[in-house]
Amino acid sequence: MTLAPEKRTSPSAQPLPLPSGKAPGKARVGAYPWVMAGALGISVCGAALSLNGVLRGWAWYLPVLTTVFVVCLTMAALRAVRAQPLLVTAGGFASLIAILTLTFFRGTGIAGIIPSGDTMKDLGRFIRRASETVLAESAPVAPNAGIVMVTCAVLGLTVILIDALALPLGMPATTGLGLFAILIVPAMVKPQSVGVWGFSAAVAGYLLILACSQWFAPDAHTPADTARNPGQLKRAALTGSVALVATLIIPMAIPGFDRGTFPQGSRVNPWGTSTGLNPMITLGNSLRTPAGTGRITYATNAVTPLYLRSVTVDNFDGDSWGPDDRDASRQPVAGQIETGYEILADEQLTQVTAVDTGAFTSPYLPVPYAPESIRGLDGRWSWDPATLSIKGVDTNSRSQEYTVVSSVPRLTASLLDRSSAAVRGISEDFTRVPGNVPDIVRTTADSVTGSGGSAYAKAMAIQRYLRSADFTYSLQSPVQGGYDGNGLSVLADFLAQKSGYCIHYASAMAVMARLEGIPSRIAVGYAPGRLTGATVTVAGQGVFSEYEVDARDAHAWPELYFQGLGWVPFEPTPSRGVVPEYATESSTFGAPGTLDNNDDLIPGTDPSATPLPSATPLPLPGGGPGSDAGSQMLPWLLGLAGAAGLLLLVSSPRLVRIGVRAGRLRITDPPSPAAVHMAWSELRDLGTDYGLPPGPSETPRTYSARLRGSRLLGEPGGMDDAAHQAVISLTADFERHTYGPPAGESPGRQKPAAARIAALQAALRANVTRGRRLRADWLPPSVLALWGRILTAPFRFIGRQVRRTVQAAARSWSRARDGLRRPSEG
Amino acid sequence: MDSHRRTAVNEIETASRNFAGIAEPVTQLNGHKVQAMDAAAFHSASQRILKEINTVIDGKSEAAKLALTVLLAQGHLLLEDVPGVGKTLLAKTLARTIDCTVSRIQFTPDLLPSDVTGVSIYNQSSRLFEFRPGAVFANIVIGDEINRASAKTQSALLECMEEHQVTVDGHSYKLDEPFMVVATQNPIEMEGTYPLPEAQRDRFMARIFMGYPDKASEIEMLETHQATSPLSKVSAVVTAADVAAMIAAVQQVYVSQAVKEYTVSVGRATRDSPLLRLGASPRSMLQLLRAGKATAALDGRDFVLPDDVVNVAESVLAHRIILDRKAASAGETPHSVIRGILNRLPVSQDLAGAPARTAAKPDARTAPGSGFRRNH
Repeated sequence: MTLAPEKRTSPSAQPLPLPSGKAPGKARVGAYPWVMAGALGISVCGAALSLNGVLRGWAWYLPVLTTVFVVCLTMAALRAVRAQPLLVTAGGFASLIAILTLTFFRGTGIAGIIPSGDTMKDLGRFIRRASETVLAESAPVAPNAGIVMVTCAVLGLTVILIDALALPLGMPATTGLGLFAILIVPAMVKPQSVGVWGFSAAVAGYLLILACSQWFAPDAHTPADTARNPGQLKRAALTGSVALVATLIIPMAIPGFDRGTFPQGSRVNPWGTSTGLNPMITLGNSLRTPAGTGRITYATNAVTPLYLRSVTVDNFDGDSWGPDDRDASRQPVAGQIETGYEILADEQLTQVTAVDTGAFTSPYLPVPYAPESIRGLDGRWSWDPATLSIKGVDTNSRSQEYTVVSSVPRLTASLLDRSSAAVRGISEDFTRVPGNVPDIVRTTADSVTGSGGSAYAKAMAIQRYLRSADFTYSLQSPVQGGYDGNGLSVLADFLAQKSGYCIHYASAMAVMARLEGIPSRIAVGYAPGRLTGATVTVAGQGVFSEYEVDARDAHAWPELYFQGLGWVPFEPTPSRGVVPEYATESSTFGAPGTLDNNDDLIPGTDPSATPLPSATPLPLPGGGPGSDAGSQMLPWLLGLAGAAGLLLLVSSPRLVRIGVRAGRLRITDPPSPAAVHMAWSELRDLGTDYGLPPGPSETPRTYSARLRGSRLLGEPGGMDDAAHQAVISLTADFERHTYGPPAGESPGRQKPAAARIAALQAALRANVTRGRRLRADWLPPSVLALWGRILTAPFRFIGRQVRRTVQAAARSWSRARDGLRRPSEG
Repeated sequence: MDSHRRTAVNEIETASRNFAGIAEPVTQLNGHKVQAMDAAAFHSASQRILKEINTVIDGKSEAAKLALTVLLAQGHLLLEDVPGVGKTLLAKTLARTIDCTVSRIQFTPDLLPSDVTGVSIYNQSSRLFEFRPGAVFANIVIGDEINRASAKTQSALLECMEEHQVTVDGHSYKLDEPFMVVATQNPIEMEGTYPLPEAQRDRFMARIFMGYPDKASEIEMLETHQATSPLSKVSAVVTAADVAAMIAAVQQVYVSQAVKEYTVSVGRATRDSPLLRLGASPRSMLQLLRAGKATAALDGRDFVLPDDVVNVAESVLAHRIILDRKAASAGETPHSVIRGILNRLPVSQDLAGAPARTAAKPDARTAPGSGFRRNH
């Protein structure tokens, strides 16, 4: 993957008649613009690969490819005919407009490619569509025409920008900025960031641009003979690929680099995670964030725990469920908000809630159900008569402070049980059973609810089933393909695995209710939060306690419709939220169904009675606060092990060096050639460690002369005379054994090699600075270089193979070309 | 005259020889078998020669040592420099330190090949053609200003250099051993001269640039050489037989596989260099290695080091290679190119090369032995 583009272009680039002068654009244009355009196109298209996941599927990629390559080729053609640089850029713009018109506005454009007045109108529509997509949907968004058009336009502009940077401005290194701009979108939007392929392709394309610009326009100050030799290409390709592979491997090798606390740092996302996207999908991500973001505070006079609802999901068809989309029927938030159905309950509870959204950003407004009026909003807002979701027309929920008056009927189990009248006056959207419901959902629903009973009994049966001990709450499963699926197939997985989180519980209950004939929808918003301890004075209403919720409280729950009572929320998710009084089991009937982290929700209870596990707001399975006895020691043990590992890691070069030296000097028999070689290697490594590495073209004699002449070994005859003698005799021994006659006599009795090496080492240590000594002890360059050689050996091997293949391909290509040319000439 | 015929005969004879035209090894001197000199005697003899030369030529010990190296390696020496730096003096001194026959040819444009090789003259009294040996019949032949002679005469000498024999009228006459030609060439005065073409220069083992002496040497020269000719004081310190024995000793110097590989890689590097139009020939590789052996012997070793090859590489190779036009205009010289190649060429000496060496040892023991022991 990495080398593929290199491989593709270099053989084609070599046999071309290359301009050798310093100004290739002036003297002869040659293949330069075309090759460069190819490099630009490959890099931009490669970087655009990473947008898969921001846009769903691959259908958008073909228009992108077309746009990028049309722009590239137009500019290359203009450059090939030696047009002025400004003209080339202008041509790039013109071709971008033409290809966009041809692709997206063929009907309205003049001759298909020239935009007309109608095209402009369409363009406005497309851009509105795209901005709605960006605001309202979550990655991966459906590739509608608007967002694809904007993507193509932006990528086309990027090509023009990169081209301008690389060619007329002559700063090819800065083209990385353009590619970075493309990559930053998936880096922030996609849960799994850019992805390996997009990143590799972008980096390879970037290297390709650099290679092409270096190849065709070498620096003026490189000597004529050294520029553009094949070794340079090989080295460059090798260095680039090693760097790329290392970049890809390091995050894998270092645990926790891309999860845990790192993602917030590594995935540049300063806007928090709940920024105006499909709540169905960001919900999972919100729950998984280690720190709560998007804090919302509210103060209410409600006596029951308050769920803040921002959006509903009622269409259960398709792969990915999205929020309701009834923009046509929305009405402006001005006066009274009507539920649109009659409430026959005896008592209506009216609640006043003051909400401060803070940094929470979404097109939908979190409000308690069912809102009657909202005051204090900035901007224009609209409400959906069917679901009462509040959506910004030209604004969003960031930094809004508003007061909501909401009312709910006081519901009891007996009231619900009596509500057996046929459902009337409800949109068909809420009763339609989705197509292709998996069998497991249908059979589970039937077996759980049994044959008869009221709608309430059936709903309670489903909730009981989902809250049973069989199901476990888990944020990890069933996560599909990097983002949380929420379609019917995921629902089937959930019922099979019996493990999931609120989205799965809520949608399971909603779908099963529909199967049983109860109108249902899923509400998405926030579970009741925590008391902050502060109080808020709401004008004309009194002093209320303040609560806070953040991303970790994001929640989804089913709402079922009961004739005469309206939409009634249920809580099938275990360990989350609060089970309403009417929905608790008859055995605990009347008892407040509060759960672990919501004890303080009922005003009046002492928050200190049950300490809030605020550090672990999500009671994840296995991570309960009860298992702290054994885990007290665990951090210590882990820390100890980590310290030991760190110590080992730090000292490993030293240990390796000591091991190598001991191994070399163990052979004490002087005449053995192996011993002499070992001693010589040790001498070379000692020199390397103390800052005098032998050059590859140095003979043993010149190296030993350089060593003795350097200040590492004082004056001969002085204190270090022993070291001098040692070097001389070691060199002589090595020369005799390496170059001498095989049966050469050994020259006199010598001290053992170990003693001579020790003398040399002592002299070296005495003559170098403390820093050098420390480096030689702890980070010996000889060991580091050895490791470097070992690590790069596979790359060098691959490089050799690639070069061989390229050469063979070039040879066979030239043979084939000759073979073709000869008959055509003859 | 009859040079054409002679050439034809020579070709037939050389067909059976070594392609590189290397002289026959010294196995006999005037009918006696030559014993290789032992190390101590070799050392003292070489020191005596060098000392004697250095008394005459001040501050040129390197050139003197290189001249002796070429003599012991059975090569020929080309001295090239401006006039008056002692080219001829060096040649003469070297000749005089050895008790052997010396002849000097002053090359002029009208010199004929027969003046060099000799000629058959009709003897009236015996009514036979008698061969009168030319100037080349000597142990050391000094060819002064060889570029002044015509190409025909030059090539007559060059053929003698290669064959170590003269063929006139179908008769081959062996030249004495040791045989060495020391030619001088003047690169300044080029008008009306025939400078040696590259192919001819290849026959000389080494070329020495004398160079100017340093200040102290020059002052000392003025002091000592004021009245008398320095050559008059020179006396022979070794005999021709000694030199033959020394040559035999040089031939016994051991060359390891690693050094052979290094030598070959030097040659290949010159052929691959983009700076050179013509790299070093295989003959030059042989001569490089022989010069390396002589250097090793003069250094008192019985085996060749890569350093020996490096030391003589510039002198041996520089006059054989031809620079690329672009490199020449960029200011490169043959010497700088060779220095650059030697600076880049890796010398295998690390442990990575050691296993390969031990594996290659069996054939290193047999292969060079067979090519080597043949010599004595």
